[in-house]
Amino acid sequence: MNSQSFDKANLICGILLILAGIFFAYQSIELELGTAFRMGPGYFPFILAMALILFGAIILFQAFRVEGEPIGPIAWRGIIFILAAPIFFGITVRGLGFVPSLFFTGLIAAFASHKMKPLTAVVLAALLTIFSIAVFSYGLGLPFQRFGPWVRF
Amino acid sequence: MDLFNNLLLGFQTAGSIENLFFCLIGVLLGTLIGVLPGIGATATIAMLLPITFQLEPVSSLIMLAGIYYGAQYGGSTTAILINMPGESSSAVTAIDGYQMARKGKAGAALAIAAIGSFFAGTVSTFLVAIFALPLTGIALQFGAAEYFSLMVVGLVSSIALAHGSIIKALAMVALGLLLGLVGTDIYTGAPRFTLGIREYADGLNFVAVAVGVFGIAEILRNLENERTREVLMAKVSGLMPSREDLRAIVAPVLRGTAIGSVLGILPGGGAILASFASYTVEKKVSKHPEEFGHGAVAGVAGPESANNAGAQTSFIPLLTLGIPANPVMALMVGAMIIQGIVPGPNVAAEQPALFWGIIASMWIGNLMLVILNLPLIGLWVKLLTIPYYLLFPIIMAFCSIGVYSVNSNVYDLYAVAFFGLLGYLLLKLRCEPAPLLLGFVLGPLLEENLRRAMILSRGDPSTFVTRPISAGLLFIAVVVLIVVFLPSVRKKREEVFVEED
Amino acid sequence: MISSLIPVLVTGIQSREVLRVKRVFAPQTRRCWIPVTSTGMRRGDNPPYHPWVEIHPSHSGIVPKSTHGALRFEYYHLWSVLEPIASASVSSANEAKQAPEEMCASGFWSLEEEIMKLFNAVLGATALAAVSLASVQVYAQGYPERQITMVVPFAAGGPTDTVARLVAESMSKDLGQQIVVENVGGAGGSLGAGRVAAAEADGYTVLLHHIGMATSATLYRKLAYDTLNAFEYVGLVTDVPMTIVARKDMEANDLKGLVDYAKANADKVTVANAGIGAASHLCGMLFMSAIQTPLVTVPYKGTGPAMTDLLGGQVDIMCDQTTNTTKQIQGGTIKAYAVTSPERLEIFKDLPTVKEAGLESMTVGIWHGIYTPKGTPAEINERLSKSLQGALKDPNITARFAELGTKPSPETDATPAALKAKLESEITRWKPIIEAAGQYAD
Repeated sequence: MNSQSFDKANLICGILLILAGIFFAYQSIELELGTAFRMGPGYFPFILAMALILFGAIILFQAFRVEGEPIGPIAWRGIIFILAAPIFFGITVRGLGFVPSLFFTGLIAAFASHKMKPLTAVVLAALLTIFSIAVFSYGLGLPFQRFGPWVRF
Repeated sequence: MDLFNNLLLGFQTAGSIENLFFCLIGVLLGTLIGVLPGIGATATIAMLLPITFQLEPVSSLIMLAGIYYGAQYGGSTTAILINMPGESSSAVTAIDGYQMARKGKAGAALAIAAIGSFFAGTVSTFLVAIFALPLTGIALQFGAAEYFSLMVVGLVSSIALAHGSIIKALAMVALGLLLGLVGTDIYTGAPRFTLGIREYADGLNFVAVAVGVFGIAEILRNLENERTREVLMAKVSGLMPSREDLRAIVAPVLRGTAIGSVLGILPGGGAILASFASYTVEKKVSKHPEEFGHGAVAGVAGPESANNAGAQTSFIPLLTLGIPANPVMALMVGAMIIQGIVPGPNVAAEQPALFWGIIASMWIGNLMLVILNLPLIGLWVKLLTIPYYLLFPIIMAFCSIGVYSVNSNVYDLYAVAFFGLLGYLLLKLRCEPAPLLLGFVLGPLLEENLRRAMILSRGDPSTFVTRPISAGLLFIAVVVLIVVFLPSVRKKREEVFVEED
Repeated sequence: MISSLIPVLVTGIQSREVLRVKRVFAPQTRRCWIPVTSTGMRRGDNPPYHPWVEIHPSHSGIVPKSTHGALRFEYYHLWSVLEPIASASVSSANEAKQAPEEMCASGFWSLEEEIMKLFNAVLGATALAAVSLASVQVYAQGYPERQITMVVPFAAGGPTDTVARLVAESMSKDLGQQIVVENVGGAGGSLGAGRVAAAEADGYTVLLHHIGMATSATLYRKLAYDTLNAFEYVGLVTDVPMTIVARKDMEANDLKGLVDYAKANADKVTVANAGIGAASHLCGMLFMSAIQTPLVTVPYKGTGPAMTDLLGGQVDIMCDQTTNTTKQIQGGTIKAYAVTSPERLEIFKDLPTVKEAGLESMTVGIWHGIYTPKGTPAEINERLSKSLQGALKDPNITARFAELGTKPSPETDATPAALKAKLESEITRWKPIIEAAGQYAD
């Protein structure tokens, strides 16, 4: 048996779309559906969710008809560090304030690459922070607190 | 001769040393802030808006208009260079512009965008000057049914955005439409798909979605092969477009300008469709549709022109009706009111110097944009030689700032992370983000206008075909559908086993 | 005798650091004043005050609000006093100014020791510092010493934002510090209000909200804050009147005619609004409640598209703020029937009030008020209120407001008490109307 006799990407894609469709459909049913002539908040999304499930099913079906190319490597390290960066910024921007929060955001993102050396990362994050403070905080006067309540003492 | 006198007055106003200076500053600041990744035109204008409050009303608005063009162009630059669109319009530019950049034609792509924008800007400035007043009448004919039909046309055309599987493109549009519906239902106040998070009550932030599915997904893709090979970025070959390129963009620019001008006039958000529509048209009329998505010159020239033309003509509803057509125009209204000018149907008569001054400054702003940016292209392209691992922490930091600055909503930042992941997942599953983004933009408009049309017609669906403009648009949608599907059906018959690529 | 640790809170001049100073005092010390610095007064402070810190053994390190002293110093130049002052009933900085040396007569420590201990304490108390942040002490006399953020719970460029920016600019001049407007839009203004409700009660975060403050208390069944108990009040800003308008070719010629027409065609007449909770939505509900006839409601996302459709004759009636309708009425693109203010407007002398036209219950205005988070010292609210009153007299503001068809609230209304009363009465007024409409936004 050849394990590549189906298209893995389409298989996953189909399943995920169907799951997303079910999620949206389920959520829509909880809203008032109404009728085609007097639509409730759930009507339009419900139709769309059904369409999504249909498309998902077709893609799933196709997955078994065609052999596909492999999915390839996945940037796990990238996912962890890159996606953590905006989340970290969101959690800390009001508490730590703009300056420390941005510095660490840059630093976290920097570690997504294997090539980044720690010292380079710190320097880069520092320069980035200085530039942003100068431009956004002083230059444009955005209402960000430079240092938030967590670091004030 | 009225027109001549009016334009003369406009150029006199906009051409004073002082106003030229503010226009230049506006264009410059707009470009510089807008070019920062993840900071789109809306965020740029919101950030720069307070600067203009201290000026004279006319200077202030001229500067603001300059910021607008600058920000738009800056946004296209980031879209082309690093696949990071900050507006729905530049999302389309990103499709082929970024591919051009990867093939070493970043300079050409930027130059084409600048030239296309300038041409479109010039033409539409005159359109605004000549037709501003009569055109508004037509714009007002557009009710909910017409907008719904228009959105259907946009949706149908969106299929052409895809260069892979049509069914996947459809699925992406559906997903995008659903994501666009996240937030409070305006008809009943019921929160939909917000997972109980109040911060999403007004919907997902467009910038968060666009930056996530385009920019961050691209960063992740570049990171995955880091160990084994360099990021694919061919050597930059020439900064300026070749003669051949220039010849190839004439027709797309003309068509883009026409499409953008027409759609921009509609106050209900027609400009959103401009670049998508132009892309679709270009792909359909092109002799080499297979190039689209892989760095087609027309795929940059058309949408960029359409975008700029739309941006220009979207001033029409603002200037003649006093109605802002998009969030950027709403900011302009705010600026006007703070300056003591309440925009309304009589601005042209009450404040001729202001009205015509702004129109003239549009053209001057566009001219400055070209003069300013053509030499800068070398600099932008140089940015690409920065090692990628140094570039993306910077990108992440700026896009965090940009997304946060729009509404000071930290949940928008979490959305960035989520859509980054989603975008990467879609990329791995060979789904394209552009149809998703179009769906996202159209979703709320489509549903809103559908339901509104039904309310206004007391539940009678024939309203869509009995109203002539609506019927005409639906007819176009059917035609587009046939044109799009016929070749693919034929193709299917020929190559039964190869669905994709 | 050294037996108890008494922390002191001091506030710095620009950076607002909170320093916890561990001091050791004799147990019988109940109250003592420490002159903190001789260089601490900010130049130009008027009247000059003496920088004191009050030590209060009964409170665990946090000087209570009511007794906090005025402190401004640039250098931590401490002189401390050991002697107990049992009888000195010093409760204000002004009294303390009289004779500090006599009250705390002897036992000065060396400056060096003081500074060392101070730094040790600062380093050691980082964890505790986080706790004490909640009670950063700011003295109204010195307020404001840095930029103030005015949260506007709506998008930039809207009418509320415009009011806020105009007022903020004028108040900035009086306060001597910049007031920056931060737009925290979303969920009918309740996100921005929630943000301010949770902000530090130090007077550096204020909220400018409109009537939605009162209506969202009913419209949103799950608010993140308790409307009546989460804020302090500064004052009313302006009361923007509403206008009842209709498409240009509406048959009726006066309000009575419009009401008759609406009643006769109840299933056909459409009323546009800019979304749930918007001024036009509230006024639309009020209109239907006043004429006791439900009409077809057509919601839009924002005033822009609603007005477009009214201009295009796609919808029939709208009731919206003069901010949005004035220019259109003047331009003759829509037809106006009445204003909802108690008196006729300067700009529309011919337009009757709803009262004159027989719908008195429709008298309504989109009032705007400025709030601070609960616990903000009364002195600060008063200070802001005074500044607001000044701003509302600014001829520039009066002129701009007039162009928008509104005028500033009278001085007597730009007070904390007036705003509090307004909010309470408006919550009571709207509750039954919203409940009758049966539409909630949560």
